Amino acid sequence: MRPAPPLLVLLPALVLLPVLLMLPQLLHGGGWDLIGQFAWAALTPATDPVVVQSLLRGLGITAGMALLGWALSLLLGLGLGLLSSRLIWHTLSGAAAPAALIRRLLALPRSIHELIWGLLLLQLIGQRPAVAVVAIAIPYGALVARVVSDLLDALPTRGLEALRTAGAPATGALLTAIGPPLLPGVISYSGYRLECALRSATLLGVFGLGGLGNELLLTLQSLQFHELWSGLWLLLAVMLTLESTIALLRRRWSMPRRLGLAAAAVPVGSRGREILLALALLLPVLLLVAGALEVKPTDLLQWQPLPPLAPQGWATALALPWPSLIGSTLLLTLIAAGLAVGAAPLLLLAVAPWPWGRTLLQLLWAFGRLWPPPLTALLLLFVLQPGVIAAALALGFHNLGILGRLLLEGCEAAGPATEQALLCSGTTPRLALLYGRFSALARTYLAYGAYRSDVILRETVVVGLVAGSGLGSQLRESLSGFAWDQLAALLAVYALLTLVGEDLSDRGRQRLLGTA
Amino acid sequence: MLFALKAREPLTAVLAGFALTCLPAVLPINPASKPAGSATLSVLPRAQAQTNPASTASTAKVLRISAIPDQKPEKLNRLYGLVANELSKQLGVTVKYVPVTDYTAAVSAFRTGDLDLVWFGGLTGVQARLQKPGARVLAQRDIDASFHTIFIASTRSGLQPFNNVKGLTELKGKRFTFGSESSTSGRLMPQYFLGKAGVKLSDFAGGAPGFSGSHDATIALVQSGAYDAGAVNAQVWRSSLRDGKANRSKVIAIWKTPGYPDYHWIAQPNLDQRFGKGFTTKVQQAIVSWRPSDPEQKQILGLFGAQQFTDANAAAYGQIEQVGRQIGKIR
Repeated sequence: MRPAPPLLVLLPALVLLPVLLMLPQLLHGGGWDLIGQFAWAALTPATDPVVVQSLLRGLGITAGMALLGWALSLLLGLGLGLLSSRLIWHTLSGAAAPAALIRRLLALPRSIHELIWGLLLLQLIGQRPAVAVVAIAIPYGALVARVVSDLLDALPTRGLEALRTAGAPATGALLTAIGPPLLPGVISYSGYRLECALRSATLLGVFGLGGLGNELLLTLQSLQFHELWSGLWLLLAVMLTLESTIALLRRRWSMPRRLGLAAAAVPVGSRGREILLALALLLPVLLLVAGALEVKPTDLLQWQPLPPLAPQGWATALALPWPSLIGSTLLLTLIAAGLAVGAAPLLLLAVAPWPWGRTLLQLLWAFGRLWPPPLTALLLLFVLQPGVIAAALALGFHNLGILGRLLLEGCEAAGPATEQALLCSGTTPRLALLYGRFSALARTYLAYGAYRSDVILRETVVVGLVAGSGLGSQLRESLSGFAWDQLAALLAVYALLTLVGEDLSDRGRQRLLGTA
Repeated sequence: MLFALKAREPLTAVLAGFALTCLPAVLPINPASKPAGSATLSVLPRAQAQTNPASTASTAKVLRISAIPDQKPEKLNRLYGLVANELSKQLGVTVKYVPVTDYTAAVSAFRTGDLDLVWFGGLTGVQARLQKPGARVLAQRDIDASFHTIFIASTRSGLQPFNNVKGLTELKGKRFTFGSESSTSGRLMPQYFLGKAGVKLSDFAGGAPGFSGSHDATIALVQSGAYDAGAVNAQVWRSSLRDGKANRSKVIAIWKTPGYPDYHWIAQPNLDQRFGKGFTTKVQQAIVSWRPSDPEQKQILGLFGAQQFTDANAAAYGQIEQVGRQIGKIR
């Protein structure tokens, strides 16, 4: 038996039931005053010039780190993506085997969250501005590499074959036949990565790698909500500006969407001159930013010795409560993923009858994307007991913001025809939305949800550090005890989990898309 | 086709030219460090770490001071700004305060040689000295030889003051928060005394304690009712009561621990090489010489919550090291 597509979309929302049932027991209500103060402060942010100035400086650093990390990751990703493409290897050397090997190797840097990279590099290199940039660039680069090689290997090869049979040299043929069709996909994806980089840079700041994130954390910890909100509003403005600029450019340059059904009517990838101009402008901007942030590549060469290992270290590392750590990490992932994937369509349905409902939701989702999950977790701890649920709510809220926006974009791209027809024939707005738009999107949305669950598994470390659950909480303890052996074991387990998770989510995605 | 190409070519050329002209303006980010970087490329990382301070002449004459972020950043900025001024005046070198974001980062930055003189807590100080052999304990406050933790509770929690360590069993099943996970007075010693009373960390509501991050945060969270109880540094608690940040009708002290050694100044082992013979002792003498009779020094001492600093020695922190090993923070 297979559920009907509209129901398929709502299936993950089932996880809401147990969470809602458990919530009353977990609520302690001690800090409702604080939540009230926090909400009130949203309307009355601090406007003290000293505060705003220091926030702006932090925001500049965060944005700069994001931009540099992103650019470096694109550079790395393009290079490594070409290196791990079967097509390239096949055309250049005749054998495709090295591509698979490189691809496997790249899974490792990808499986470790940028925060962990950052904390590790902090220990190895010390407090340098370059740390955050590289921390973003390593996992992002590996991710971009995967997407680039996937795109490359999915391209039709007829043009290339024709050029090769006509006697064109391998490199020339590749550039001519593969370059132009590859570019739109890469540019569209890199726009999305820039949005992610801004979020990552904020998060890295929360853990002390520079920028606005740390000020957000400190103001939250010392309950200075007015200052906190000044920072949040500023960050929101930057994030929304960035997102809408990227969306605008994507439309203008006719780049493919992330989650869309309708094939673009205009030929994909127009206005090459503008793209070229943007790229040319990017280079000096990047160098200026690097100069302003004092990011020096040479810093990366100055490695510091790690503190010595304890003699009995490995035994204590093995004695950690692994089953419960892993179990709670997986539980956290499942609940958070269910919440994020399930709540987005559910909320859209809930507000469907009201015209302003959707706008309010968009604002809520923007905040979800904006708030680093550890901050949300800290806020939740004012009224909730620490543990898996608090962590899952925080993580789910963040990813809901990302998934919700994608779903809405997908809905709008799908065109209003079916929904309008249903509405005109007297269906309620909710059902019209469900059957008119969601059912066609169901599989692509769930496939993206499967990918997102994989990301969520990687992100569990971020809330675990705060809400005291899963491998993340142990990671924090091991870090503060400088227990390298435990850290190494934790990282190995994390990498293993995310690799298995990635494989599962890939299979899930293929099944969802394959049977469509 | 040909026309399109023609129109595109000059534009591309202009763009390329523009990019190239911008390049030299921004490229030499740090010309001085380039030869050093390329020269040490083949050398082992350990060797680089040693040559690093010497190669960057600009940082060699700046004494970088820092402190574990146990209180609000505004207060730390004010206090260590004053300390930097005072030390600069007394020692005749440039002194710069470098804020760090968490306790672990302070220890790491001391190990990597990014900080010269740091105000550490008991535990972080021991961690720092174990990671940087040869580092010197310079001074502590008069109150640090026998420092205390105050267990505080919100008045809504119903918890009452008690006089014996066994009273901590009352905290079982309550929502409890420590300060930073590497704090001596906010985590290490309170956990040690909780253990003495037979309270495990999993006995708290939710199965785990919270880590508020700093002493100010602990007081604010317990006062708000978000946590029933918490453990804070006695000196921060006193100053919060004094300046009204802690409201006695909402948060009360329920127990004061026995004394233990805490905060102290620690200096890098290589200060004498970098600043001249006897410099470390000069720093120590300067800190110990601060008296309330001098208006600026009075302000510093006031913010430190102390009458004066005294010489300190590493041996006094043996107890902290022992407890740190028990709890797994020192290995």
